Amino acid sequence: MALGSQPLDILGDRQSGQDVRTQNITACQSVANIVKTSLGPVGLDKMLVDDIGDVTITNDGATILKMLDVEHPAAKVLVELAELQDREVGDGTTSVVIVAAELLKRANDLVKNKIHPTSVISGYRLAMREACKYVEEKLAIKVDKLGKDSLVNCAKTSMSSKLLSGDSDFFANMVVDAVQAVKMTNARGEIKYPIKGINILKAHGKSAKESYLLKGYALNTGRAAQGMPLKVSPARIACLDFNLQKTKMQLGVQVLVSDPRELEKIRQREADMTKERIEKILKAGANVVLTTKGIDDMALKYFVEAGAIAVRRVRKEDLRHVAKATGATAVSTFADMEGEETFDSSFLGYADEVVEERIADDDVILIKGTKTSSAVSVILRGANDFMLDEMDRALHDALCIVKRTLESNSVVAGGGAVEAALSVYLEYLATTLGSREQLAIAEFAESLLIIPKVLAVNAAKDATDLVAKLRAYHHTAQTKADKKHLSNMGLDLVNGKVRNNLEAGVIEPAMSKVKILQFATEAAITILRIDDMIKLAKDESQDGQD
Amino acid sequence: MQSPVLVLKDSLTRESGSKVHHANIQASKAVADIIRTTLGPRSMLKMLLDAQGGIVVTNDGNAILRELDIAHPAAKSMIELSRTQDEEVGDGTTSVIVLAGEMLHVAEAFIDKKYHPTVICRAYNKALEDALAVLDQISMSIDVNDRSMMLGLVKSCIGTKFTSQFGDLIADLALDATTTVGVDLGQGIREVDIKKYIKVEKIPGGQLEDSKVLKGVMFNKDVVVPGKMKRKIVNPRIILLDCPLEYKKGENQTNAELVREEDWAVLLKMEEEYIENLCVQILKFKPDLVITEKGLSDLACHYFSKAGVSAIRRLRKTDNNRIAKACGAVIVNRPDELQESDIGTGAGLFEVKKIGDEFFSFIVDCKDPKACTVLLRGASKDLLNEVERNLQDAMSVARNILKHPKLVPGGGATELTWPYEAAAVAFEAIPRTLAQNCGVNVIRTMTALQGKATKDVMHATGENAWTGIDGNSGEIADMKELKIWDAYNVKAQTFKTAIEAACMLLRIDDIVSGIKKRQAPGSNQPSKPTIETEGDADNEQMIPE
Repeated sequence: MALGSQPLDILGDRQSGQDVRTQNITACQSVANIVKTSLGPVGLDKMLVDDIGDVTITNDGATILKMLDVEHPAAKVLVELAELQDREVGDGTTSVVIVAAELLKRANDLVKNKIHPTSVISGYRLAMREACKYVEEKLAIKVDKLGKDSLVNCAKTSMSSKLLSGDSDFFANMVVDAVQAVKMTNARGEIKYPIKGINILKAHGKSAKESYLLKGYALNTGRAAQGMPLKVSPARIACLDFNLQKTKMQLGVQVLVSDPRELEKIRQREADMTKERIEKILKAGANVVLTTKGIDDMALKYFVEAGAIAVRRVRKEDLRHVAKATGATAVSTFADMEGEETFDSSFLGYADEVVEERIADDDVILIKGTKTSSAVSVILRGANDFMLDEMDRALHDALCIVKRTLESNSVVAGGGAVEAALSVYLEYLATTLGSREQLAIAEFAESLLIIPKVLAVNAAKDATDLVAKLRAYHHTAQTKADKKHLSNMGLDLVNGKVRNNLEAGVIEPAMSKVKILQFATEAAITILRIDDMIKLAKDESQDGQD
Repeated sequence: MQSPVLVLKDSLTRESGSKVHHANIQASKAVADIIRTTLGPRSMLKMLLDAQGGIVVTNDGNAILRELDIAHPAAKSMIELSRTQDEEVGDGTTSVIVLAGEMLHVAEAFIDKKYHPTVICRAYNKALEDALAVLDQISMSIDVNDRSMMLGLVKSCIGTKFTSQFGDLIADLALDATTTVGVDLGQGIREVDIKKYIKVEKIPGGQLEDSKVLKGVMFNKDVVVPGKMKRKIVNPRIILLDCPLEYKKGENQTNAELVREEDWAVLLKMEEEYIENLCVQILKFKPDLVITEKGLSDLACHYFSKAGVSAIRRLRKTDNNRIAKACGAVIVNRPDELQESDIGTGAGLFEVKKIGDEFFSFIVDCKDPKACTVLLRGASKDLLNEVERNLQDAMSVARNILKHPKLVPGGGATELTWPYEAAAVAFEAIPRTLAQNCGVNVIRTMTALQGKATKDVMHATGENAWTGIDGNSGEIADMKELKIWDAYNVKAQTFKTAIEAACMLLRIDDIVSGIKKRQAPGSNQPSKPTIETEGDADNEQMIPE
């Protein structure tokens, strides 16, 4: 029997060719549709409820998609795309998904018109490269020219779509201050802004406006004992990574003694060893002791007597940050090379003040005026936990954006300005090419317009009208040398007009835009290359596991 | 032409658009409606029966909502609000829900008129800012040392509660307790830690009037050997320990191998000696009372009773902390490190009393107690629970005033003073509900009240800013005369929480529910190759068909 005569029987579905492409693209489209309404300053939030009933309220594209249980394989690519954008840039997660979906939709139309996907792909690649080049060369504006205001504006643009939009002035300043406070120069002389050094603490109660920035670090734990002082200053901080409990042999070592009096000595020794350790710490001059492990009640008394604050069960991550901020060394053992136990005062970190304060119903240890001051804390207040979580996400996005702006040092106008400019530019570029890619580039150009369109639609404005006006401005900007300034024209969504967004303070880091283009194109290409999908039926034996 | 593409799991339900807005608003309003009748002095209680058959009788907004099992996500978010309010200021839990519900209800009309939710939110935020400004304007400072003023204030807060007939009593209790534990931090800042230093002990039996604030601490324990130890000591010297007074093995695993018989006796003797040693060290300081958080062996009891020292064991850490605060003792961990300064001498009297069927120890008449116990008596446990909740509220109010001595008029007077249209309508919910609950003609009262308030705004005289509804009679009255006040930061917090929460709920346009708890992302992918190989294996079986 010839093999060819028998159809290959696969347990499951197999789709190929145009079918699978259309299906993939429809899936991506529907994912984009979910997040579409959350784009822009007048976008709205989504409420996600899981099967236990826990609620998440968010506007962040990546969070929405991560929470949704997306099943379709092609749609999953988009979800990962949003996560990638979140990791790399931190903001623009919604935009990247929308652009990718639009690129796919247009590509599908081309393929239906018998243009081979590979031609479309190469056209997209070319367009993407040109677009990035154009953004960097022509549209980007150096931050140095614009000063601190531009940073605040960047943060504000990022927050405008979020819950915080009403208080964006307030929060934007806070974010910029926070990022600038953690500025540091590494060994190679590069200036870095480690966002992780910014500790975001959430405490419900009061209103969002009463959130504040704290120079120093906040630990979400109270003092170990009531008798300890509420405040020490100046503080000398010891960071420990071991137990201050009765000494105990590791691994169940048994001690055999034949003289019963020895037994008593062992007990005595256990307690004394901890005491000696604590004395060593105190002798070195420490008056604040942080440990990731426990402290015995018995040991607490020594701290109380010495007037020191001891905090137990500090999170390891927190301890690392504190150590970094105060110049302390996190000590994991006292043992030195000679087999003795010592604690040198050089391990101590310094801060102006360590206080315990009450925020809402919780006690919080605040470490203020740290020596190296590369840590700040943002204390968020708000009506309830859901709101705080969303504020946290919004603030994180804004922090990332400010960081990117500072690092990449260039910004572009927001509100659809870049997309419109690129669209005009690429269309012009397409006409200069004589190959098959021409069509693909033209479609790419058209796809970018989805951003201003969605922005306008979300604001319930006339999208067609606004986008046409916008394109007209950008066309003049690119053709007439004396009208260059028009390249910053973007949408004003509150009033439904076209305005100069650079002057209006709606700006984004150029790097974010470039990444959006790159990631969206790459994702679109990945999905476009698929022409066969085999979905295998679930094996019965697997059911038990799921 | 093609089958529908499934992107999401079919277990997911998704709602979006204006449907969501309406659903959210309805749900929030439903929550507000549940507790609406518990607002004001003529409010009614709710009786809740939980799954275990326990009964809660209360009119505390937070207590009611906490017990409810609510499915709608928006309603859940509302319930969180009252928790926030409770934790932050301790009072106004009902108002915040009623206000947030009303805010959303008013917004519904605007959404129907096709206003964009973000526009409404912006307006609300602005209204909030102005509301706080107005609040600042009409608030008046008070002297925290003026007791009658403070009493009036706390009383107007309890006015809404079950215990209103005992308003004076509860207000007295709350005020006494909070002033006792108040610590001056200097610069006019006062810290009052209710959670740590005020303990409310409920003992069923007796009358509510028998309740009192002790100048010291009380706890549900008796001396270890009732017959031999003294149950009443005047001016006791108190030692507080948090170590066991019995022989305890070391942390390390130790085995003793005994070869000779005498060794056994030595071992036992050592244990005895150890305890004796401890006791001798303690007795050196001539205490009258030894209290430990841990165990106390019979042998130690013997030594103590011989020396005429009373001992109490297995006390809770929190109680121990309070005793330390009350009598000025320091909790000691190792008896060999005892110092004279660790001994508490501040207490005037130690006494064990039998109330009902149980023994209670009192350490009272302390010189300068920084911690206290509030002893509540009452007919039944449910009643006491409710009284305790009211007392907690009252204490929170007293604390707020101590920390932030500013007042605003109560009885719905504050709510009527802003000029914003939508927000103002929502704010009216509070006086309206007050009027409703006391059964007067709502419309007539409201219009009269509004008339006065508008006149006030127009003439900017400020003299009518204190006009509100007397929740008992339903008449319009001057709140200043009636001494119906609210604490400034309770009001401010209520507005902030309610408006911000309303904005958050308004901004939602999509609800996706039924999401599976996220499994580890890795767990899906590795299983794929195995499915494939098994699929191939199946194929071979299929071919013969």
